[in-house]
Amino acid sequence: MTPDAAHPPTTPGADILRAEAVRKTYRLGRLDVPVLRGASMSVAAGEWVAIVGSSGSGKSTLLHLLGGLDRADAGSGPIFFDGRDLSAFAAGRQNAYRNRDIGFVFQFYHLLPELTVLENAMLPALVGVWWPEWLRSRTALRQRAAELLDICGLSHRLDHRPSELSGGERQRVAIARALINRPRILLADEPTGNLDAQTGSGILDLLASRHAEGLTMVMVTHDLSVAARAQRQVRIVDGRVE
Amino acid sequence: MLPFAPVYASLLSNRYLTSRTIPFIAVAAVALCVALVIIVVSVMSGFLEMVRVSGKSLTGDVVVSRPITGIPYYDELVRDIEALPEAEAAAPIIETFGLLRMPYGSGDGGKQVEMVEVWGIDPFSLDRVLAFKSKLYWRAPAAEELATIAEDDPRRDPFFQREADGMALRSREGADGIVLGIEISPFNRRQRDGTYRTIDPRTQAQSSGYFMANTEDVVLTLVPVSDSGSLSGEKKRRFSIVNEVQSGLYAVDESRVFVPLSTAQEMLLLDERPMMSRTEFDEDGRPKEIGTAPARATSILVRASAGTTPERLQQAVVGAYARFYQRIAADPARLVEPPFPDGIDISTWEERLANFIGPVEKERELMRTLFSIVYIVCAGLVLAIFWSIVQEKTRDIGILRAVGASRSGVLWIFLRYGLLIGIVGAIVGALLAWGVVRNINAIHDLLGTPAPAGLKVTAWIAVAASAGLALRGLMRASALRAVSWTFITIGLAAVATVLLYHRGFLVWDPSVYYFSRIPSSLDLNTVVTTMIGGVVFSIVGAAIPAARAADTDPVKSLRYE
Repeated sequence: MTPDAAHPPTTPGADILRAEAVRKTYRLGRLDVPVLRGASMSVAAGEWVAIVGSSGSGKSTLLHLLGGLDRADAGSGPIFFDGRDLSAFAAGRQNAYRNRDIGFVFQFYHLLPELTVLENAMLPALVGVWWPEWLRSRTALRQRAAELLDICGLSHRLDHRPSELSGGERQRVAIARALINRPRILLADEPTGNLDAQTGSGILDLLASRHAEGLTMVMVTHDLSVAARAQRQVRIVDGRVE
Repeated sequence: MLPFAPVYASLLSNRYLTSRTIPFIAVAAVALCVALVIIVVSVMSGFLEMVRVSGKSLTGDVVVSRPITGIPYYDELVRDIEALPEAEAAAPIIETFGLLRMPYGSGDGGKQVEMVEVWGIDPFSLDRVLAFKSKLYWRAPAAEELATIAEDDPRRDPFFQREADGMALRSREGADGIVLGIEISPFNRRQRDGTYRTIDPRTQAQSSGYFMANTEDVVLTLVPVSDSGSLSGEKKRRFSIVNEVQSGLYAVDESRVFVPLSTAQEMLLLDERPMMSRTEFDEDGRPKEIGTAPARATSILVRASAGTTPERLQQAVVGAYARFYQRIAADPARLVEPPFPDGIDISTWEERLANFIGPVEKERELMRTLFSIVYIVCAGLVLAIFWSIVQEKTRDIGILRAVGASRSGVLWIFLRYGLLIGIVGAIVGALLAWGVVRNINAIHDLLGTPAPAGLKVTAWIAVAASAGLALRGLMRASALRAVSWTFITIGLAAVATVLLYHRGFLVWDPSVYYFSRIPSSLDLNTVVTTMIGGVVFSIVGAAIPAARAADTDPVKSLRYE
């Protein structure tokens, strides 16, 4: 499994993601709660970075901003993807960024309960295509999703519903889903946070194998033993990268 | 599947529809709203249609009318009209009101007297215009009727087959005959299948002794009215009841009687009679006879030839009457001049019934408008249900946004979901309405019959089973099951109690609604427009929750499990 040829790879070692003095404030009732107070970090192409920090330090918020799932404060520093400012992306490009350039893996898997394992894994591919294209490419897409699920050890679970799977299996489906569109970056938010140590280790092995094939990964965790699997750790304290 | 729709939106809205219970409540709400509107409008349309058909079948396409004094030389006018290519047949009649002394008593030893609408007719000419013979109730059933009528239907017995008497308007003994509307006699009891039995009022049992054509004679009293409007002495005549008529219109069947045309003319002094001079007298000082005044008819009913509209026939009859008038007026041998064309009423059946049809039409539109308000209820229900679905699906929306779904894509999921619910609900509602409308009389009959014992027992078994499940829920500490089954038990117990005490009730009373059967007419336009309304209001109801879904902040929705 290699990154999609349609997405020209960034030169290995060059920054694929860079955040510069990013600020994010949440409003809770009448209170403004600053979460990120000028966080800066960069991720090189092909790198595996772990963002660590205590609970509430802003690591998940930073991941959401990097993934285009949220927007930084007005006046905040920029976030660059492959040298292009994310905040300058139009809504359609933002959606395409999340759909094709980024793959998300969440702590609580976040699978759609009405869809089967195969359909969940295909979901980002379904978002990217319209009916005419779908009718032409559905066999290939199903095949790719089945292959990914096979790699994740779920070839026997394709027609099951998420409710019929264990936590580890669900997270594997979430990883297959994140990889279906051959993203350039995988963003994982506490991917093992809801799993026992053995299952979590299996998930990390799976992620490591993807990274070994050249996938850039940014992983948020508060578990230092998990963070140790990454090439580099970035620590956030009080909304700033140390 | 719409080619411009994102694939995931179609997939998800289909799955949301089929894998959950709550959408079926929305589907049921839409279906009930659509069914309600279709059923109400269908019954009103059927009522209107039946009024029209009955009206036409009771008067013909065009009526030439000159009440009280009548039209002289009417037989010539009938021939003129029948010679028109637009006319199929014409029948002269006498229309008036009278008093009918019935053969049964009023309780004080006397006889009961009814006020009736009297038609003097020639049965054969009236049959050509209004199919009079087919409206005679006591006749031999046709071959196809024999297969459908009940075994105890009296008309199976040749004794009750009095078609020839009805058409002759004479009794078998040669006396003047009268045909009564079938609802005039209190001994004729209408059955739920629309047929009649003659019932002994003391025993409530079927009895041929109360068959009208088998009873004593009736006495009809008419009062002639002169040209100047003054009343002459009343005329009484004894008639033998020879048959009864079922027109299908209750108002007619409870008040109209038919007697021979010549007899009615005679009683109203509209028959052919000597004409006396007002200025010349014989040697005894009595007015001198100067000729013969022709017989008169107060109306001529005309049936249009095939393919001719009543309006076209009306124009032709107006022309025919003008020519008839000119011919008679110009003939010095005619002592009586027919009414001037302006003094004659020549109306189509719709014009004659305008005062009746107009309000019914308005009533139907009013009902359609009022019942269309249920669409708002439908939209409100869909909105409430969708609001709850969107609330529940917040996390799914966050996931979709995280994998690149656009706001419009999320909006489309829920709009399409509303569209599907509207379409499925509209189809189910139309089918439900079709079933109800088609079987409305059977349903009405079912409501009017006591429940069979087996059904009552089954209902109480269901109550016991449901109560057992409620108890089991209670013992297993499941509040949801206990409460749900308790409510189901209460509902079933209510149904079982109603079934136990149900003796049958009459919703559609023919004496109130004119017709003996509930009319209904499933109009395709109404069905289609109502279904479209159901779909549109489902989308309207889904729109606000869908917009809310599209505005959902993905980060907030994904933050917590």
